[in-house]
Amino acid sequence: MKNLIAFVLSVALGVLMVLSLTNNDWFAQFGYVDLADRVSQSYIDKDVTGNPGEIIFGITSNPENGAANIVTSIVVDYRSFDTLGEVTVLFISALGVALLLNSQDKNKRLALNFKPNFMLRVGSRALFAIILMTGVYVILHGHLTPGGGFPGGTMIASSILLLYLADDQFRTKVKGFKLLEGVAGSFYVIIGLLGLLLATYFLQNFLPTGTVGDLLSAGVIPIVYILIGLKVGSEIAGIIDNFLTEEEVSL
Amino acid sequence: MSSLAVLLIAIPLIAAFVSILSKKVAPYLLLIASLINVILLFYFVPDGIVVIGGYDLPYGINLFVDTFSRTGLGVVNVLFLVIVLLNIVEFKKYSSVLLVALAGLNGLLLTGDLFNLFVFLEISGIAAYLITTSNHKPLATFRYLIIGAVGSSLYLFGLIIFYGMFGTLNLMDMVSFIQANNVDPSALVLPAMLMFIGLGVEAKLLPFNSWVKGVLKDSNTLSGPMIAAVYAATISFVFGRIINNLLTLAFVGNLLIVVLVLLAVGIFIAEAMAFASTKVREILLYSSIAQASIVILLFVNGIVLWAVYLIIANALSKTVMFLVINKATKDHGDDESDSLQGVFSKNILVGITFSVATLSVMGLPLFMGFVVKLNYLTELAVGAQWALLAVILISSIIEGIYFVRMLIKLWYPEKNEVTVKFDLGFKVVFVAIALILLALGTYTAPLNTLDNSIDTIAEVIDNG
Repeated sequence: MKNLIAFVLSVALGVLMVLSLTNNDWFAQFGYVDLADRVSQSYIDKDVTGNPGEIIFGITSNPENGAANIVTSIVVDYRSFDTLGEVTVLFISALGVALLLNSQDKNKRLALNFKPNFMLRVGSRALFAIILMTGVYVILHGHLTPGGGFPGGTMIASSILLLYLADDQFRTKVKGFKLLEGVAGSFYVIIGLLGLLLATYFLQNFLPTGTVGDLLSAGVIPIVYILIGLKVGSEIAGIIDNFLTEEEVSL
Repeated sequence: MSSLAVLLIAIPLIAAFVSILSKKVAPYLLLIASLINVILLFYFVPDGIVVIGGYDLPYGINLFVDTFSRTGLGVVNVLFLVIVLLNIVEFKKYSSVLLVALAGLNGLLLTGDLFNLFVFLEISGIAAYLITTSNHKPLATFRYLIIGAVGSSLYLFGLIIFYGMFGTLNLMDMVSFIQANNVDPSALVLPAMLMFIGLGVEAKLLPFNSWVKGVLKDSNTLSGPMIAAVYAATISFVFGRIINNLLTLAFVGNLLIVVLVLLAVGIFIAEAMAFASTKVREILLYSSIAQASIVILLFVNGIVLWAVYLIIANALSKTVMFLVINKATKDHGDDESDSLQGVFSKNILVGITFSVATLSVMGLPLFMGFVVKLNYLTELAVGAQWALLAVILISSIIEGIYFVRMLIKLWYPEKNEVTVKFDLGFKVVFVAIALILLALGTYTAPLNTLDNSIDTIAEVIDNG
């Protein structure tokens, strides 16, 4: 009965939303929004602080934001404060997992119910290196191509997960992850504070932005993405370790 | 340096990141960071708009420091520090969580960007779920987590629709766009209601508050005052900001009536539930649900000033009440009001402060609650809101009966003895808060001076 009421309510809410939005003059149909008067257009043209003219890949130099990847330019520059917040969301989630599972270095890791053979162990190590390098590549090129610190960091963590699953002797040093996590997070805030000191505002870009499309361009964006990559990678690897070494605690 | 306000978020955040490196240092970092925050707030942070990332409104994210957010920050940061000081020894392992919570709460109060607000809602929300794990009631915490997550998703959903309509996330920019273009209020109904419900979950409004009972009825000296005073005050301030600026544009005509009826019914039901409870903590939590609904009701009616004072009065009273009862329950093992009978006969000082806090919530003369209640009732009468006036008056009578009944039980001893020992630190805090409630109840000049300085964001901008 409860489920039925919930179902009916959800459907009613959905119908209400669709009806309300279709009769709403201000809510434009998909593809018919006039972008000219919207905030987002300025992120694409990079003309919030001044008009740089047309942005041309490999030619335009020192625009207000040097990222060739528009998503990155919004995530790590125009709205970098939100990203600092999102990093904190992941941080507190990882912290919660460790707190609830009462993780300690001395806990034994989960046993596999099969004996991994030689080929599996060696093969997974080779794959580990490839996945890890892909993660690093994605992080380093976050300001140029799709990707960045969050997906790259997750790839790094997935390479660690592979080792856990393919080798019953494998155990990471959680302490090392903790150190990386804490230091990377602190440096993100410190970069923000440096913006306050060296430029005028918190999280402001205080390095030259270079030529759009170069590997060494976009000012602090690649640095921040490396920090995010390290932080996300170590945090998710830490969560994996927490779950695989879980010890029962009485709540 | 107008950007100093950002340190209120950055300092606890960096302390949180560092605190995971050493379990021994973490509690000290928590103390230092919360102390620095209070000092910064009262001596260094100037009013104004704080630009972040070097991109002006509405392109970048901004923080907004005015009398409204400053009042909220003052209440929240001071109470946070006090509660942390009292609990730091017992709840050491929650230090990092509390640091993130502080950053999140300050972010909520400061931000002028609606998506940034969602991010801080998530941060402080997850921190709150973790704080409630100290109750050792996993199921109640899990329920809180699920309902809280659905609530913040609904807020986000409302925001997405607003963004789809007006193409900006900045609160001020959005409000001025709506006003400049004379947008028909009916176009705002859906996103406004989604936001109202989303924030209503955290603000404990009926019928979105089923998490409250599980979380607060088994609370301890950390989670009780943290959730019932600090978090409640923060969410009320944030909710007030959103209602006062954005949602009032949608709350006209029939929708306004629906919202007011919803709130009025919420007040009645919560008071009735409190009346029917015999456990002291349940009485307190239902009373705080009723008070939260009254606060939101005042904001919806545009009685901003007295809503702010009501938040402050409630936060102060609830801190004392939850600390006293949770400490007593911890020592005694039960919070049935029959079994706690006569707990104050041996702790006269604590009993007096608890009674002061309770009488202030009831709105009796001599205490801060009375001044606040008198004034908002007058404002409602001036606005000819007779039905709302009647609802609040009748619920006050119910409130009076169950609170007096509870106080009599707690004061007069029965056969079995109840021994509860309160530490000196607790007593100092109780006495200090009781004195504040008494002082602001008899000497109202400080309340009156704030009178005209609380405006909407648009007014603040216009007046400079």
